[in-house]
Amino acid sequence: MQRFIARQTVRLVVGVLGAVLVAAAISAAGEAYARNLPGYLSAFSVHLLQFARLDFGVSAVSATPALQELAQNLPLTLILVGMGFGVSLVAGVPFGLLLALRPARKIAAPLIQVITATPVFCSGLALAYIAVHAVHWPVSVNAPVGAIVPPDQFWQITALPVFTVGLAGAAAVQLALRRSTMQSSGESFRTGLKRMGLGLVEIEALYVLPQVVAGLLFGAREIVLTLLSAAVVAEWVFHRTGAADLFVKSVALADWNMAAILLFVFATVTFSVDFVGKVIGHALAPGERV
Amino acid sequence: MSEPLLELADLTVSRGGAAVLDRLSFKLDAGESAIVLGEEGSGTDALLRVLCGFPDQADTVSGTIRFAASPTRSAAKRLKPPIRIAYLPNPLTRPLSPHASVLKQLVRIVARKLGAPFGSAREELRLALERFPTAVTLQLLDAKPDRLDPVTQAIGLLACVSAQTPDLILADHPMADLGPTAVKLLMSLLQAEHKRLGAALIFVTGGLQAAARLGGRVLVLRAGRVVEEGDAVRLMSGHAHAYTRMLFKALPKLNLDPPKARTSATRGQPLLQVHGLSCVADTPMRDGLTFELRRGAALALVGEAGSGRRALLRTLLGFEKAPSGKVLFDAVDLYRLSEAMVARIRQHIAFITGEDDTLDPRMTINDTVDEPLCAHLSLSRDLVAGYREEALKRVGLASHDGNRPVWTLSVFDKRRLQVARAFVGAPLLVVVDEPLKGLDAFAQAIMREVLVDFRATQGPAFLVVTSDFTVAQTLADEVMVFHEGKLVERGSISHVVREPKHETSKALIEAVLLPDLSPGPGSV
Amino acid sequence: MTARDTSLSGLILRAVGWFGLGLLALAVFLSDFLAHEPAGATMTGAVLAPPSDLHPFGTDLLGRDVFSETLHGLATTGVNAALAALIAIVLGGLFGAVAARLPRPLAFLLRELWGVLASVPSLLVAILLLGLFGHGYTFLAAGLAAAPLGFVRAFDAVDLKSRHAEYARATGIPATTLLKRDLTYEFRYLLGAVTARALAAVTVVISTASFLGFGATPPARDLGLMIAASKISFFSAWWTAAFPALALVLLVLCARLAAGLDEGEQA
Repeated sequence: MQRFIARQTVRLVVGVLGAVLVAAAISAAGEAYARNLPGYLSAFSVHLLQFARLDFGVSAVSATPALQELAQNLPLTLILVGMGFGVSLVAGVPFGLLLALRPARKIAAPLIQVITATPVFCSGLALAYIAVHAVHWPVSVNAPVGAIVPPDQFWQITALPVFTVGLAGAAAVQLALRRSTMQSSGESFRTGLKRMGLGLVEIEALYVLPQVVAGLLFGAREIVLTLLSAAVVAEWVFHRTGAADLFVKSVALADWNMAAILLFVFATVTFSVDFVGKVIGHALAPGERV
Repeated sequence: MSEPLLELADLTVSRGGAAVLDRLSFKLDAGESAIVLGEEGSGTDALLRVLCGFPDQADTVSGTIRFAASPTRSAAKRLKPPIRIAYLPNPLTRPLSPHASVLKQLVRIVARKLGAPFGSAREELRLALERFPTAVTLQLLDAKPDRLDPVTQAIGLLACVSAQTPDLILADHPMADLGPTAVKLLMSLLQAEHKRLGAALIFVTGGLQAAARLGGRVLVLRAGRVVEEGDAVRLMSGHAHAYTRMLFKALPKLNLDPPKARTSATRGQPLLQVHGLSCVADTPMRDGLTFELRRGAALALVGEAGSGRRALLRTLLGFEKAPSGKVLFDAVDLYRLSEAMVARIRQHIAFITGEDDTLDPRMTINDTVDEPLCAHLSLSRDLVAGYREEALKRVGLASHDGNRPVWTLSVFDKRRLQVARAFVGAPLLVVVDEPLKGLDAFAQAIMREVLVDFRATQGPAFLVVTSDFTVAQTLADEVMVFHEGKLVERGSISHVVREPKHETSKALIEAVLLPDLSPGPGSV
Repeated sequence: MTARDTSLSGLILRAVGWFGLGLLALAVFLSDFLAHEPAGATMTGAVLAPPSDLHPFGTDLLGRDVFSETLHGLATTGVNAALAALIAIVLGGLFGAVAARLPRPLAFLLRELWGVLASVPSLLVAILLLGLFGHGYTFLAAGLAAAPLGFVRAFDAVDLKSRHAEYARATGIPATTLLKRDLTYEFRYLLGAVTARALAAVTVVISTASFLGFGATPPARDLGLMIAASKISFFSAWWTAAFPALALVLLVLCARLAAGLDEGEQA
């Protein structure tokens, strides 16, 4: 256990340090004097030193400190991702478990392919279309960013991006769950314990479930990546402010410093979730695939 | 007369249209024991599935089953049997969850079976362990399965069976591949418990050793049918069905005849010379091991698992450098050569191991056999194909589709493929490491023949690592016996077998000496 | 393990996937011939006309024939995706093969650094690269971004610490033979699945990036851009978004089916 945590910690640290390097490399690209290699290298080292001193610079677009910009936008995205994660658990877990059962799998697997083959922006637009035409919600995909939302419509407006992110997440959750269920379905101890006299429910709840949950936790990284990716699209489609939207705009407007910092934040979020997921997963079922 | 404890009538199990068990009828009295002998796919597993009460979804079951005084019922029904049945699996099949303590799982099983609280189940288990003349305690079992050696687990599983005070014990290949001394110990424990509990015993096995040791009634299953039923003594004598006779003829026995004149050991030039080798740091191998293996000779390194044979082997072959000493292969010092040179020398070595992961699972049969030829020699396609065909024919794989990938093959086929791969390279030294592991009696018999044939036709030197003296005797002339990282005895096998000096050798030899059930080999 | 779904249903689904990809490739190849109108031709009919015989997919806000535009868009997206998939496979495969042969600490470091890129959604990496390179290099950016996604993982199977690799070394099989073996097997038996999986992944990345405004630059239009442009009109004229989206989903779906059900979902 200690060794595992130590190894994962090393990975986390190496990952975060790597993310710092990448962030410095990106933000250096924004400097005017970084046109040639020596210039770029000196810009790179300057930015690296700045990051080391926790100086994250100023957003080139809004001319506000990058940290302030981040503090304004990141919570919105994190809330969106968090709520989407809730939805994806609610939708993905029963679905994944159902699909892991042998008879259901054959029929449903191709169906699942159709659903998961739909890019997030298409499903987001489809959701919006349904919301407008079927339940007559005041949804707009063309409203200006940051438009004032009437309080009575708040939930209706919030629900769609959350659903969009949640659906994308649900696909990832059911996949991770299905994989880990499939893996543990082949375990020989199921037959062994059953023959030795334990009840089916007992075996599943005590010995199989931890393994399945651990598998899901080991797949946490993929789920987070999907959720973040979906958040970018959802914020864009539904015109919501947030860090993901900010990233797209920063890149579009060549605000490399801001983009680099956002990229670093996303990478750190992924690494942290990955770390926590693996450690808990290892505690539940040591020796599972890492 | 009392009713039989178990009565099966016309039990048929089919899967996907094919019968895996064909109209089996069978009676077992209380306290009686029966050995069900069958190779892989002979229907033994289907029988166990039905008896345990958990047929697969794919199984179609017909026929009836009756337990003791309860009424006859259809075997297809999944009902709780009215008698107490305890299942004894093999620890190597990983019957317990790897993520929980062995003790906790066993206690849970006992508690469920007895309908007792965990506390008293634990106490029952403790008492059962105390009855055994072994050092295994509850505390020792309180670890995850991968932290325990298989023999300890097997003892724990046996104690779990004993604590259930069953009416019927279903032993499912319980001792396969556990090593001869462990088998002997476990067998005596099982026999003692069987007697003490007065329980009936169905002992399903693929190996003959257990059958020969346990004696009593034997059912020989083949392709779902009982080809033979009768007393072990009668089956082991010649008066039996051809299949049974062939199986029992292959039953490995130690040859205790006086040794013939030593010829093979001095056949040629020294191939492998070891001078004052002291072994790897973390295994306590005796200092200064010196021996030599001549061309065409065969040396067996015999010992229980963990006795340091493998460590020695790895050092001998230069995978790990020894702190001191010299290893000469073909009169060249392995430790002094460059990697490239060592690689050239290694072309003359081949391995056949009991673990089939030395075969690349992605490769096809043909590619696997071709690789050593193509890598070391530049031969024409036809020539390569010719050599390959011959090698595959020798091991009996010629009828297989050569484009089948390795991962689709059975254990037996993979093992034979290893021999073919070794054969085709015409090696000077063949390292054979527990070659019969995981094979049933039938496959073991063929594997022995294939290996003996290999040595007879090409005459490479053999270095055999095993815990089974019968394997050592079949494949080698000289033996070195290891115990806890030390060399304890060496000499010609026939000498050592007749007059073992060290306790370890005695135990290992005794473990494969069968009790005299049959009228003796002379009368066959 | 390289065990693949060899059941009949699995084979049929894979065949359907490849067949679908083939049809789509044909449609791309013949897009100029099949389309009623050249790419970007405006006012070929009434504005926002619903599907009819003349315009089977209707027309959009600028009076462009959606059917022709979808075909042209599919061609752009498809070609970019194919190129990107190629880049992703070659890069991912190269990386995997090299990383498996490096000394342990170095391989670890390389893997972790590469892992930094893999820890950001590939969409964001693609957007970033597009921002850095300029929009003309959609396929390059998407390929680079998708390379760490899963193709490296297939090559993790090429583990030189495995017992069969150890056996090969122990019997003097040269490293080149081992490399050849790895390449042969990974490519001969996995290339199809890996290509299809890569194709599905990069198609999603490319079209999403394009939807967000990082992709085809007008007048060239791909499916993502078409769908983005139809955002204004699709609440009242569903066909402007539905048909390009359908084409996109079809492309991704076929690629996923071709990759095999279990593997396809890794993308």
